[in-house]
Amino acid sequence: MSEMAVRAEGLARTYGTGAVAVDALVGVDLEIESGQFVVLLGPSGSGKTTLLNLVGAIDVPTAGHLEVDGIRLDGLDGEGRTRFRREHVGFVFQFFNLIPTLTALENVQLITELTGRDGSDQARAALEAVGMADRADHFPAALSGGEQQRVAIARAVAKRPRLLLADEPTGALDLETGRRVLDVISRLNRERAMTVLLVTHNAVIAEMADRVIRLRDGRIVADTLNPNPVAADRLEW
Amino acid sequence: MRVLTVKLRRDLRRSRAQVLGIVVTVFVGVMLFGASYDAYQSLTASYETTFDRVGFADLWVTAAPEGLETTLAADPAVEAAETRHTVDVPFRIGDRRLVGRVVGVPEGATVNQVMVLDGAMFDPSAADQVVADQHLARAFQLEVGDTVEVATPAGWRPVTVVGIGASAEYLWPSKSRQELLALPDQFGVLYAPDPAVAAAGPAAVRDVVVRLREGVERDSELSRLAALAMAAGAGDTYTRDEQPSNAALQEDVQGFGEMSFLFPVLFLGAAGLGMWVLLTRMVVAQRAVIGTLRAEGMSRRQVFSHYLAYGVGTGLAGAIPGAAAGAGLALVIAHAYTGAIYVPITVVRVTPSTPVFGVLFGLVGGALAAWAPARRAMALEPAEAMRGPAPTGRGKVTLVERVWPGRLTAETRLVVRNALRNPRRSIATGLGVVLGLTLVLVSWGMIDTVQVLLDRQFRQIQQADAQVAFLAPPGDLSALGQVDGVAAVEPVVQAPVSIVAGDRTYGTILWGFDRDTTMHRFLTASDDELRLGDGLLVGVDLHDLLGVDVGDTVTVRVGPTGETFDVPIAGFVDEPLGTQAYMDLAVLDGIAPQVASLARQAMVRYRPDADPDVIRRSLEATPGVAAVVPTRALEAAADEYMGLFYAFVGIMLVLGAALAFVLVFNTMTVNLAERTVEVATMKAEGVSAAQLARLITVENLTVMVAATLPGLVVAYYVAAGFMASFDSDLFTFTLHIRPLTFLWTALAVLVAGFASQRPGLRTIRSLDVARVVRERSV
Repeated sequence: MSEMAVRAEGLARTYGTGAVAVDALVGVDLEIESGQFVVLLGPSGSGKTTLLNLVGAIDVPTAGHLEVDGIRLDGLDGEGRTRFRREHVGFVFQFFNLIPTLTALENVQLITELTGRDGSDQARAALEAVGMADRADHFPAALSGGEQQRVAIARAVAKRPRLLLADEPTGALDLETGRRVLDVISRLNRERAMTVLLVTHNAVIAEMADRVIRLRDGRIVADTLNPNPVAADRLEW
Repeated sequence: MRVLTVKLRRDLRRSRAQVLGIVVTVFVGVMLFGASYDAYQSLTASYETTFDRVGFADLWVTAAPEGLETTLAADPAVEAAETRHTVDVPFRIGDRRLVGRVVGVPEGATVNQVMVLDGAMFDPSAADQVVADQHLARAFQLEVGDTVEVATPAGWRPVTVVGIGASAEYLWPSKSRQELLALPDQFGVLYAPDPAVAAAGPAAVRDVVVRLREGVERDSELSRLAALAMAAGAGDTYTRDEQPSNAALQEDVQGFGEMSFLFPVLFLGAAGLGMWVLLTRMVVAQRAVIGTLRAEGMSRRQVFSHYLAYGVGTGLAGAIPGAAAGAGLALVIAHAYTGAIYVPITVVRVTPSTPVFGVLFGLVGGALAAWAPARRAMALEPAEAMRGPAPTGRGKVTLVERVWPGRLTAETRLVVRNALRNPRRSIATGLGVVLGLTLVLVSWGMIDTVQVLLDRQFRQIQQADAQVAFLAPPGDLSALGQVDGVAAVEPVVQAPVSIVAGDRTYGTILWGFDRDTTMHRFLTASDDELRLGDGLLVGVDLHDLLGVDVGDTVTVRVGPTGETFDVPIAGFVDEPLGTQAYMDLAVLDGIAPQVASLARQAMVRYRPDADPDVIRRSLEATPGVAAVVPTRALEAAADEYMGLFYAFVGIMLVLGAALAFVLVFNTMTVNLAERTVEVATMKAEGVSAAQLARLITVENLTVMVAATLPGLVVAYYVAAGFMASFDSDLFTFTLHIRPLTFLWTALAVLVAGFASQRPGLRTIRSLDVARVVRERSV
């Protein structure tokens, strides 16, 4: 039996209270195997980013049970969640959020330092893995959008997390650049057996996933396996 | 170097103009703190060392009865008690004259010794030898071997200067507590063998000077000994704190103490505000980065420490060199000041704790300024941060738009709403204006106050041009009235007295004027004019000091003659210099005839077109006249010193404008940085850089002008409080600020604020619209 990376039961997240309460996620039951490449698909407001944030422990469920990498998240306090994120997950966001005053290498190294790992070597290895080693000493302003996103991915994986969470990683990129970024994520998934949860509203990207989960109004409306994932460089949108 | 430190350093470098402004402000604040506090310490140490070296007395008993010295010397709290005499008499030095004082020094004196700086001490048995006080010697270029003539009832008597000396009693050559500001060429001191001074007759006042033993409880022992002396029949007592020279110098020392508090508060306050504005903006701008770092595992504590380090680092960057510069400046001030006052012993005290405190001020100030933004960064939830940048301020219809008749143009609405868009930042801009106004108005107010008070004292109250002293009490003043250029002459009596009410005593000067005198006006606090009558007019401070009111009877004890009489208080006069007493000369003649005769002098008023120097020489040539003292010389001297005052205010003006500049500059650049995208969008839509500059200028000026009125009110009260700290029975420092001063101060600060916009406005002109819109720079 495969090891479970994510296990959720009756997972719910409500923002606000009373008349202005919004149910972003309603009673989600979910299991994701380790090493799977999962795409969360759905329109705006369907709850995919909320689910990603809960799995990544940057948000707290209002109800339900959530276990990631064997750790029960719904019982963790703030310190515990920080420790969890530090040791288990890496994030990639639509906007790259690189620190403009640090070079590509320093941006990656910052995270390895903060998470108590040996800085420079791991950071360089991460940049190498995303094909950015030759641009290590460039500042973000000197990098293209795709390059910045690859540095952001390097930053996310430098600490060697078991789980990579990507929220619309190609949302700010053109087709060619987007494909290159997706290819990097796909390689990391394969080569490092890293579980990937990728949020997108672009249905085409779902073709490269092992599994596609569709959400609408905070609920999972479809959960399908993809027996023949397509390589990133063959995607068209 | 840790990457987070690299980030911090580069972030600070990115905002270098704003950071530099803050660093310089902290530097100036800490430097002024160190300089004024260490100068305060050095001056205090210099005085104390000098006082110990010469055995400066702890208590003076004037008009002391025979035998009191023995009683006091036997007291267990007393180390030494000595009797000496003083007499105020005219001196003639070459062709110049003044009313000076001869101070008797007993043989083997251990209290109030004279430090001989040049020449030698006099022979105790030689009645014609004196040591000239350093200030008198300097003012009249006296050297060892020169001769000074001293007035006696028998005529001018020559004495030889055998030495130049200094005494703790006359480090600042004050004639009395009521005449602290005597000029060196108007008043001087000779030290002579005490028996020779005692032989001067009834004009010589017998004093006992007392020095306490080490370790006794000073305040209670001084009170007990003073009560003992008064009970024995002494005229008055005063302590070292009340001694005229020491009291005058302590005003200066206190000034340094006040500055060591005021400056750091103003400058570090401004720097703190600037830091707060800058860092708050930085946290907003780095919101997404903070969210990402938090998502990747950065702990709250790490986030907090990181942003706190901006404040601490900036504070330290200004405070460390500021503390070093302050220590250096303190040395310069201490040497310059003690040199200017001619304190014989200069002790420069660089207290190690002062720079440490200076650095701590910078560190704590920086940390406090960064505290709130760092907390805000720490509290940022990653999920929340990822939802995009928070809008900078909410749009809402302002009160101005609601009450304005008719519809405002879109441009005006934008200006009004933007001014109120971020209340905290507008308040920071306003506070910059308030701090700048305060610094300028405190110093400018000092000039206005001094000028108004001098005008009141020497133009509105004193109406005489000169006071004439005689070799012997004059019978007839008509000869003075015949001197060409003299408009009026009146007799006057001036004598040191003690006024006693119950168990309280106040030593002052009693003046006797003609009932209908034209030489002095008696003005109340509300500028009503009082007339002399049968009672006593006294300075308004005696209302509280003696606990008396109009109609109460007080006892007046005359120092030189020992005459004592009771007299009712007829009114209170409000005079800037001193707290003195006034009586009708005829009434005084009737109840204290000895002093009325002994201390009789004359007041003279010149014709407006006459040459004062010519009249003075003519008056001095009149038979029987010993000296002519110009009564407005102090005002003239003060006018000469006004240049220094203006230089001081000029420096404060620059510093105040700089404060306003730094804060407004920081808030302005932050304001623009937050709105880069909207400004770029407006430019893209065809709004010209000039239009945008105008909008932003009007917006900032609106905030600054709105802050000016409350700023002037705050500045006025701070200035009034600062002045009040110098207010005493010796000086009335009631703040007076001329209306134009308010106007110029406000204009200076507004111009500084206006100028501080220029770098920001230049940024608008050079804004790369394409880049900003593409990158959504925050």
